[in-house]
Amino acid sequence: MNIHFRIVLLVMAAILAVGMLPALAQEPVQITLWHMEQPPHRVERIQLLIDEFNAANPDVVVRQEPQNWGEIYTKAPAAVAAGNAPELLFAIPDFTPILKDLGQLQDVTDFVAALDAKHDFVDTAVEPYAYDNGTWAVPLYNMAHSIWYRPSVFAAAGIEPPTTWDELLAAAEALTTDTQYGIGLPANRQLYTDQVVYDFMVNAGAEEIYNPDGTLRFDNEATVKAYEFYSQLFRFSPPDSTNWTWGEAEACFASRACAMIPQFTVITTYDTQAEGDPNDLGVIAIPRSAEVEESGTIAYSNGVMLLTSDPAKIEAAQRFISFILEPENYGRFLNMEPGLFLPVTDTGSQADSFWQDPMVVKYRAQVETMIENSKNGRLFGFTNGNTFPSIASISAQNILAQVLQMIVVEGMSAEDAVKAGQAAMEAAIE
Amino acid sequence: MFGLSRRTLVGYLYVAPLLVWLALTIAYPLLSTVILSLQDIRIIGTEGSFVGVDQYRTILTSDAFWSSTGRSVIWVLGNGLAQTLAAFIAALLLREAFPGVRIARVWIILSWIVPTVVVVIIWRWMLSASGGIVNYALVSFGVVERPIGFFSTGTSAFASVILINAWRMFPFMTVIMLAGLMRIPEELYESAAVDGANAWQKFRHITLPGLQPVLFVIGLLGTLMSFNTFDVIWLLTGGGPAGSTTTLPVLIYDTAFKQYRLSRAAAMSVVTGILLLVFALTFIRLMSPRTEEQESAL
Repeated sequence: MNIHFRIVLLVMAAILAVGMLPALAQEPVQITLWHMEQPPHRVERIQLLIDEFNAANPDVVVRQEPQNWGEIYTKAPAAVAAGNAPELLFAIPDFTPILKDLGQLQDVTDFVAALDAKHDFVDTAVEPYAYDNGTWAVPLYNMAHSIWYRPSVFAAAGIEPPTTWDELLAAAEALTTDTQYGIGLPANRQLYTDQVVYDFMVNAGAEEIYNPDGTLRFDNEATVKAYEFYSQLFRFSPPDSTNWTWGEAEACFASRACAMIPQFTVITTYDTQAEGDPNDLGVIAIPRSAEVEESGTIAYSNGVMLLTSDPAKIEAAQRFISFILEPENYGRFLNMEPGLFLPVTDTGSQADSFWQDPMVVKYRAQVETMIENSKNGRLFGFTNGNTFPSIASISAQNILAQVLQMIVVEGMSAEDAVKAGQAAMEAAIE
Repeated sequence: MFGLSRRTLVGYLYVAPLLVWLALTIAYPLLSTVILSLQDIRIIGTEGSFVGVDQYRTILTSDAFWSSTGRSVIWVLGNGLAQTLAAFIAALLLREAFPGVRIARVWIILSWIVPTVVVVIIWRWMLSASGGIVNYALVSFGVVERPIGFFSTGTSAFASVILINAWRMFPFMTVIMLAGLMRIPEELYESAAVDGANAWQKFRHITLPGLQPVLFVIGLLGTLMSFNTFDVIWLLTGGGPAGSTTTLPVLIYDTAFKQYRLSRAAAMSVVTGILLLVFALTFIRLMSPRTEEQESAL
């Protein structure tokens, strides 16, 4: 071959190779995380962890988009339908079935098994996500309600922290003055109200909404008792708590307008917007009725769902979740809201990154009590080893809260309201 | 071409892009909604089957639909009364010459331009029964013994939402009304004064007739805009307590995205659209300002 021709060929090959370089260079894998932890300090903590992960994994870029619990049941299916779903989406057990019905959820059984081998998940954290021959979310953190109060306020009123319903009612009445409501109880049609209603259902022995065969048993004596008690207690709650949204109960407590509230945690609000004195922040288990022997509470195993089928994105997302669950990171993740998010792994429950957080150190007694209270946690639709995915439709409509409104707003009897609630649930799941 | 002149064809070509745009943004979604309403789709993105007019049969025999329709009527009337009165009084005041009137005419629209979410947050906190400034003032001045739950009962919640929405929207009406008032020639009032007309007679025979075109526009647009209000109600009360502020737009949203009955919500939307169309056509036919020729013919 003529030497000149060979040189021309070589030059052309070189130009072609250089031209292909940009195409060969890999763009980082983009992972979008939707979560519903909107308070700025939580967003900030998640961003800190994301930045560390991105720096250590230059082939992946994770970014967060905080969402709202009030809208996510609407927004997520719409995003999936529009092809704009995030790769990762935080979840609670009754939210997962909705996304599963859309066929977008990835089965993470093998991944959870691998994480379990490494970190030892609490079994009850995985169970609500394991059904229909798959596991549909990776557990990330637990949450449970307690009653929050100020010991000084109780002492001034001469009352002890209540352990029973009678004591709770008496305390709420004694604490109600011209400038203070005895207790702050939500009655808006939203998730917080569902949760508090369920606290009282658990403590009335009405934690099972379903029969073992999947039919509903919401309409029963124990449920009626729970609602009757709630409506009695509600007399000592601010009149506009029928319209409370997230944060208003904590604001009521922080401003001392409410003497006690049931909530997952008030530590951050109390520390930043109230006195911030750990010696004057009390926390107790939700008081029980005479029908049950032990106090219980609502407890959510929160998880993260994988909504992508792209292998590269699945791998990158799994890497990010694994990063979060590493003990040196997991504690910092949980402490985006100290005391609210409790560990679901054995390694996490012993991690220095959890217990050495300044806020956890400051409120250690309260956090230990919350962990203790969470051990008696239940979740409607996921009790006694059973999982009923149809609970998603009931949760989405906040039917537990609607029933309460029938009683405290419309004046219906608890019996009639619970009957109507059973009918509404049956219509929702048909 | 097609028997049309070149000039006409060129005219159609000029408006063609707009027609295509209108077809895409109005006709296509309308048609999609009607098709959706004839199916039984529940969650957005899932499949459904054709069920004919079943969804329409369900909603037209549903208490919830008619209750919400009734609430929408009350909502429109309540807002119409509150906004029109407030706008009229404000417009009459702003028509006068007083120190600072120019500033007042500009800043009157402040509540209208503030984003709805901000308006809602401000009013929620002001009206709160556990620390809100309104209740603090009412209790401090002895007007009430205990804080009022402005959103605690159906009636109080509905009234509160109407007043908050009226507060938000009346500046827009004020601006339109002020423009209408300022178009009425001052000479008419002077002549009336010379003829011995009192304030009421001037208002009845000069101001009201002069404002008729403006009142027609406010009546038509205001009603349609009011009827379709969703954001303020949803953010303030979510349609509660106990459904007492669930107007039709709120019911449609709730049906689609909380009850996961998308096709049913689409049927509600179609029925609502028809109701509003009938209202608009009737209103235009009965309330259109008449020209002088039409008045003479009568």
